[in-house]
Formats: sequence, C-alpha cells, structure tokens
Amino acid sequence: MRNGARAPHGRRAVVVGGVRTPFVKAFAELMKLDTIALGAAAMRGLLERYPIARRDIDAVVWSGVILPSIWPNIGREIALEIGLDPAIEAMTVTRACASSLQAVTTAAAMIERGEADVVIAGGSDSTSNAEVKLPQKLVHAAAPLMFGKRTPGDVLGALSKLMPLGELLPRAPKVVERTTGKLMGEAAEDMARRNEISRAEQDRFALRSHQRAAAAIASGRLAREVAPVAVRGSGEDEGEARWVHTDTIVRADTSLEKLARLKPAFARGAAGTVTAGNSSPLTDGAAAVLLMSEEKASALGVVALARVAAWSYVGVDPADQLLIGPALAMPRVLDESGRDLGDIDLVDMHEAFAAQVLSVLRALESGSFARERLGRARPVGIVDPARLNVHGGSLAFGHPFAATGARMVTTMAHELHESGKEAALLGICAQGGLGAAALLENAAS
Amino acid sequence: MRDLLLELGTRPAARRLVARLGLPVPLPVRLNRARGPWEAQPLVDQFIAVGAAGPSRLGAILARTIARAGAAAVISDSASEDAEVFREMGRAYGRPATTVPVAGPSHGFRVDALVFDATELDGPTGLRAAYDFFHPLLSSLRSSGRVVVLGRPPAEATVTEQAAARGALDGFTRSVAKEIGRRGSTANLVQVAAGAEGHLEPVLRFLLSPRSAFVSAQSLMVGVGLPAVSDPPLVRPLGGKVALVTGAARGIGRAIAERLAGEGAHVICLDRPADDTAGGQVARALDGSFLPVDIGGDGAPAAIAAHLRERHGGVDVVVHNAGITRDKTLARMSEEQWDDTLGINLRAPLRIDQALLEGGLLRDGGRVVCLASVAGIAGNHGQTNYAASKAGIAAYVRRRAGELAARGITVNAVAPGLIETRMSAAMPALVREAARRLSALGQGGLPADVAEVVTFLSTPGAAGVSGAVLRVCGGALIGA
Repeated sequence: MRNGARAPHGRRAVVVGGVRTPFVKAFAELMKLDTIALGAAAMRGLLERYPIARRDIDAVVWSGVILPSIWPNIGREIALEIGLDPAIEAMTVTRACASSLQAVTTAAAMIERGEADVVIAGGSDSTSNAEVKLPQKLVHAAAPLMFGKRTPGDVLGALSKLMPLGELLPRAPKVVERTTGKLMGEAAEDMARRNEISRAEQDRFALRSHQRAAAAIASGRLAREVAPVAVRGSGEDEGEARWVHTDTIVRADTSLEKLARLKPAFARGAAGTVTAGNSSPLTDGAAAVLLMSEEKASALGVVALARVAAWSYVGVDPADQLLIGPALAMPRVLDESGRDLGDIDLVDMHEAFAAQVLSVLRALESGSFARERLGRARPVGIVDPARLNVHGGSLAFGHPFAATGARMVTTMAHELHESGKEAALLGICAQGGLGAAALLENAAS
Repeated sequence: MRDLLLELGTRPAARRLVARLGLPVPLPVRLNRARGPWEAQPLVDQFIAVGAAGPSRLGAILARTIARAGAAAVISDSASEDAEVFREMGRAYGRPATTVPVAGPSHGFRVDALVFDATELDGPTGLRAAYDFFHPLLSSLRSSGRVVVLGRPPAEATVTEQAAARGALDGFTRSVAKEIGRRGSTANLVQVAAGAEGHLEPVLRFLLSPRSAFVSAQSLMVGVGLPAVSDPPLVRPLGGKVALVTGAARGIGRAIAERLAGEGAHVICLDRPADDTAGGQVARALDGSFLPVDIGGDGAPAAIAAHLRERHGGVDVVVHNAGITRDKTLARMSEEQWDDTLGINLRAPLRIDQALLEGGLLRDGGRVVCLASVAGIAGNHGQTNYAASKAGIAAYVRRRAGELAARGITVNAVAPGLIETRMSAAMPALVREAARRLSALGQGGLPADVAEVVTFLSTPGAAGVSGAVLRVCGGALIGA
C-alpha cells in the first residue's frame, strides 16, 4: 500500500544506530541459537553500543519469517529475555524478506503518529532452527490418542489411518511459493531467462558483491555494526562461551573462474544460470535498529544518522515475475519524495539472486516498462554501478530473512552520515510477489 | 454422452493402429480447455508468431496483448520496423520477442498460435502475404493451437479490390480451420472496424486462450459506436455485477450460471417452478438466488422486472438461455408445438428485454446474450418452429444492438452447434455421430464451451462486440 511521504508538518523519524549479529551460514556456528536468542544478541548489542536510558524506550517492533509456532510474537520474548522493562510493549511483524524493513517503517509510522518517541526495530531468523513439521495426517490421526481416554481400538484405528508410513516422514522446510509451488530459485531462473540475463552477468555481479563486502569488512567500517555473539556449548563444554565475531559467508578470494565452475542449482542441464554462487544462501542472524523522533534525538543529544523519509510496498502476481516488485516499489518512493533516480546517491538492493537484482535494474532502465507498468513517460533510469550496493549485499553476507532489511537500513544510515551524501534508496523483493522500497535521507540536511 | 472415437483418440496405441490399418477415421483429439476463473496471464509461457500483410498498424496492440497475457511474440528475422515494437513490449513484461528465419523455421520449432494482421490489405495481390506467412509456419503449430486473422469489414473498403481481398480472408480462415481442426486447433477471423482498435485486446485474449476451444471457422466483427471501456478487468471481470440466466437449472444454462458466478457475478438462476429443486441447488452452490418463473407465462416479464427492481435495483447481464424443442415436420406439427416453441424461444426473450428496458432496469454498460442455434442458421428437418425462433433471435440481436449502443449495452447471440447434453443424447445415434464428425474439430462441444463464450460476451472487455451471432460449433459444416 501507498504510504505518504513525510507528514507535511509533523514529526519525523530518524535512525540513530543499528547493530547486528555476524551473519553465518545455516547449520554452522550459530546453530545452537534460536531466533529469540539471536534477536536477544542483536538487541543487547544495540543497547550496549547506544547507551540510552532503557526507560526512554517506548516500544519494540520486531520481525521474523520463520517464527516459533508457540511464541510467534518473538519481539516480546526477546525484550523480556534481555530484561527490558515489561512495560515496554512489543510486537512482531512478518513480510517475508522485507520483514525488518517493515519493522523499521512501522516504527517510523508510530513515531510520526506520535505513538512513540523511541522504538527498537529489527528482525531475526534462525534457519537452523526452523521447526520440522509433522505431517498434518499424523497430527490428526494421533489426536484421539493424545486427548481423552484411549482404547486399544483407538490405537489400531490411528495406526490404520497412518498407512502408508512414507507420508509420515517429516519434511524439510523449503523456500517454496504456496500458490505456484515453485522454488524461489526456479523463479529466479525464470527471471534470468525472461529478462535475458546471462550466467556471466550474474557471476560478475556476485563477484562484485563479495569483493565489496570483503573490502567493507577489511576497512573496519562494519565493526561498529556487528556485535560478536557468544555461543555456549552443551554437555562438558557448558559454560564455555565460544565467540563468533565476523560474517562467515563473505569470500574475499572468490573469482569469476571459481563461480563459473558451479553447477546450476535449480534448472537441469546446461540451460540453468542460477547457481549457489549467484544466489543468497540460507543464513542465521539478527539485526536491530534504533529509531527516534527528531525532537527526542536532539533532546537526548543523540546523533541522528538518517531520516526515514518515504516507503512503499507493492504486490505482483507470484505466477509472473516473482521477484520484480522493487522495480515498482522503488519508482513509487521516488515519486512520493519528489526525486529522480539521478538525485539518489546510494542505492541498496537486497540481493536474493543476482538474476533478480539484474532483472529489476533492467526494468528500471526500460522505457517500455516505464510506460506499461509504471505509467511514466520515461524510464526510471540507469542505476550507476558505483552507487549500487556499495558495501556488498545479501549474496556475500547471506540473508537471514528478517534481518536483511535492518542490515541495509543500518549500513545506509551510517554511509549517509559519514559521506555527507543526501539520499539512499532501498529495494527489497519478497516471497509472495511482494516488493518493498524505502528512502533514507541524511538527517543533517 | 460418451464419444468412443474421442476416447480412442486419447490412446496412442489406438491412434497408431488406426493409422497402420489406413482406416478413413480421423480420430479427434481431446481439446485443451481452461479450468477455473479467468487468469491474469491466460497465455503464460506461450510463443505466438506474428505476421502482417504490409505495415502493421496493429503492431503495438498485438505486442501489448501478447506480452500482457504472458506470451512471447515470435517475429520474422527480416527485422522490419514493426519488429521493434514487439521487442520493446516484450522487454516491459519480461517476455522477450524471439525471431524465426524468414526462410522458414528450423526442425522442432513450435508455436502455440499464429496471428496475422491483414488490416492493411489493399487488394488481391496483397493476399499473397497470407500464403507467405502461414505456409512455412502452419506445420509448426502445436495441437490445440490458435490461428487468428485480423482483417477489416469489406463494407468499409475504399475501393472494390480492397473489399474483395478483405472478403477473401473469410474463406481463407474457414479453410485453415478445417485443415488444423483435427489437431484440436482453431482458426478465426476478426474484422476490426476502423477506430475500434481499442476494443481488440480482450477479444484477442479470448480467442487465443483455451476458453475459445470450441469456437472455430468464425468471423467476428469488432465494431465502433460503443463507448470504449478503459482498462477492463483481466480477472474477476464480473465482480459486483448482477446476472440473470434463464433456464439455469441444468445443461448449458447451468454451465453459464456457474461460469458467470465464477467471475464474480451474483447470478439469478431462473427456471420453471417445476424445476425448483435443481434450480435451487444450482443457485445455492453459486451463492446466487433462484427465481422460479415460467417465462412462457404472460405475467413473466413483469414478475422478473419486479424481482430485479426490489432485490437488486437493476441487472447488468441478461442471458436468454431457456429454450425448448418440439420437433415435427410442419405438415404434422400441432398448433401447441408451434406456439410453445415460438413463445418460449422468441417471444419471451423479446418481452423480457422490453420489460427491463421500459423499467429502466438494464444498466448502462449492460450485456444481453441470447442463445441461438446453428439450426436457426442452417434450417433443419422437423424444426421449422425451432429454426424460426432461433433465426428470429439472430435478427433481434442485430437490431437491438444498434438501439442500445449509445448506452454501452451490447446485445449478442451465441449459436451452439452439437453440444453434448441431454438434448443431444436424445438424438438418433447416426445423426449425432454425423454431426460430431462433420465439424473441423471432429467432436461435439461441452456446455462449458458455450458458457465460456457467453461469459466472455458478458464482460466489460467485450464492449466492442455487439449485434453478433457467434457460433460455438467446432467449425461445423452445417450452416457454415
């Protein structure tokens, strides 16, 4: 839905900081931490780095994609876990890969409306701890045995309902569209084919993402955004914390040759172009952002980094180009903020797949796309590669679903503040054919 | 009704055997039909070859229609200026246009449809372009494929040569339909009146989609004089509309009611009070309402009008489906047989429409669809009464269409050929068998095939089609 650009004469929300955990490949170093533990690590890190009085916090807007079914409001659990005052209310939003951008814009809307002055927003996801679902058939058949008195006949009856037993094997979670049954990677493969994006282009884009992410880590600039996480062992090791300090997926040493050797992951035969190298991997991680009203930030003497100036969410037919949404959402944000692409200093796009980012860029460049899909006389424009994902993206860092948006907001807010640049445009594609975009403005201007 | 040949034809072994034995029995193929409601992209992942006689004025519309429907255009590699519009539109929708060598496609090349724009045809010599386009490509057309030829009405021609060439397309298209019918493919001609181009996209979408499975060898006029509906809905086109369907308790009427409801309409299922069990069931299943009225009765129009006024304040779609047959040769026909048939099939629809118009109940932009019959076009032994009523309907819609055009109301007739229903099951077996096989598609249609056409004519997007008698006959020989 359309959300107004900044209120004409009202309160404005600013980002004052953000902290995340290291992003780590699923089923690796962070496996023992579930989404609540990851979220707690990020939120704790945020409060350590930005020592505001805890009593100044009004609310928590958290987000998650893989939510524990008994405690889906993980925002509240995380807040209680780290010992925030129980009077600080908390909610959890979910919007697939755009979840934590949604958390940030929801927080900004609360601040603009005057509901809150200080909000912690963010998101966490532990793919390693996705609940393995029991088939509904087993649950339904077993129900008479679990509830009420059971007779031997009930047991036999339940057993007979369960044949054949092969259907009872727990199924691994997959990133599958419910309506189309297609894997996300197959959708990316489709988009590559339909927008005529070659394997080489995708690999070049992935290489650049890794190189820029590696450079950002090497420069030390990411250190203030990433808080180390302690993982406690079990059994004899219990109590011994092992520390995870840095992102583990970024490959400084990858090359086009190495990327070119990877086999297509989603299409059989030589026709496929989407590989593990040019797709974002399953990742564990969490990210938190601290937002305030402009007035509160100056009252507390906190440096405001960036204003959350405008945002937009769109939906497209999942059966068409599943991940093209940002090509519609980003122009809307430009329109609402009265800017052209040329006025934008930084563009940060979630890299679900190289093919998807390149498809969106191609759409933004296309005059016919502009006329047909956006009702614009002229193309949105060419995104200068020098301004796009300047510190790498999800291909290199990985993509904990509900942490990516908050990571992007944090990195861009810092970048605007440090470089003195004016505006950053964010774009995120999401499952279900959703697209998201937001505009951050330098808080000093 | 079972169709043994059709069932046999679905078995590869049987097809091979028939071919081996050299039997003169062409086995029909099972038609590819759509299921469920309209989709935003009915032609998803299809490849549609496009050609033109001379410069294509409709290029932009064709390119947009194809890409928006989810298909990719296939254009000749002779790289004319026309090609660029297809390339551009393909990029906008992520459906890149591909090319086919002008010398002819390579082995294994397949297309789902062939669209030929002959609107700029100037005379008989120009017809050669049709040969040049179809000759190399026709064997690349998939089964259940589509051929659509776009022409102009001969009556609008500026010179005699042009009128003749335009008329030639009719025979050409009908013949193509016969040649490709055995593979379940259809061919139709669309005559686009000058200035009516804005109405074209929904018509093309429909004719290229599986929803037109049993419409073949037809020519359809897309005319002017009706207000254009800008950006008609692609899905759920009848959302918020009220539709009246007479004879909705069973057969074709029921199929129509189901499809209209499937596209979002509130359907008032009208049938005889004696059929209130069946009619009520249909209405309940569709979340519609049942209106028990005998339309042959003198008070019927007033009763229907009163119901529509009180319950809905008006009506958007009226489908005159109820009909009866009372077959007898004229010499043996009783007065009742004559009167009943003419009364139900012809007099009732006219009176009902009159009552709705006088009562101001048919809303602007409304749709009236009457069920005619191929028998009404061809005449039939023992059906003087029935054929008279149906031919009367055909004339009626042409006349009414003109009267209501200014209000954006369209009035059309749909003429089914052999449709597998209770009525056709009662036909003598040999006659039925002949009727099935003497059509381009070599089989009877289903009630759903008629319902799809009626539904299309009921949508806002069909604003350019009025006064038409559209046959749903699988390219039947009779009356063609």
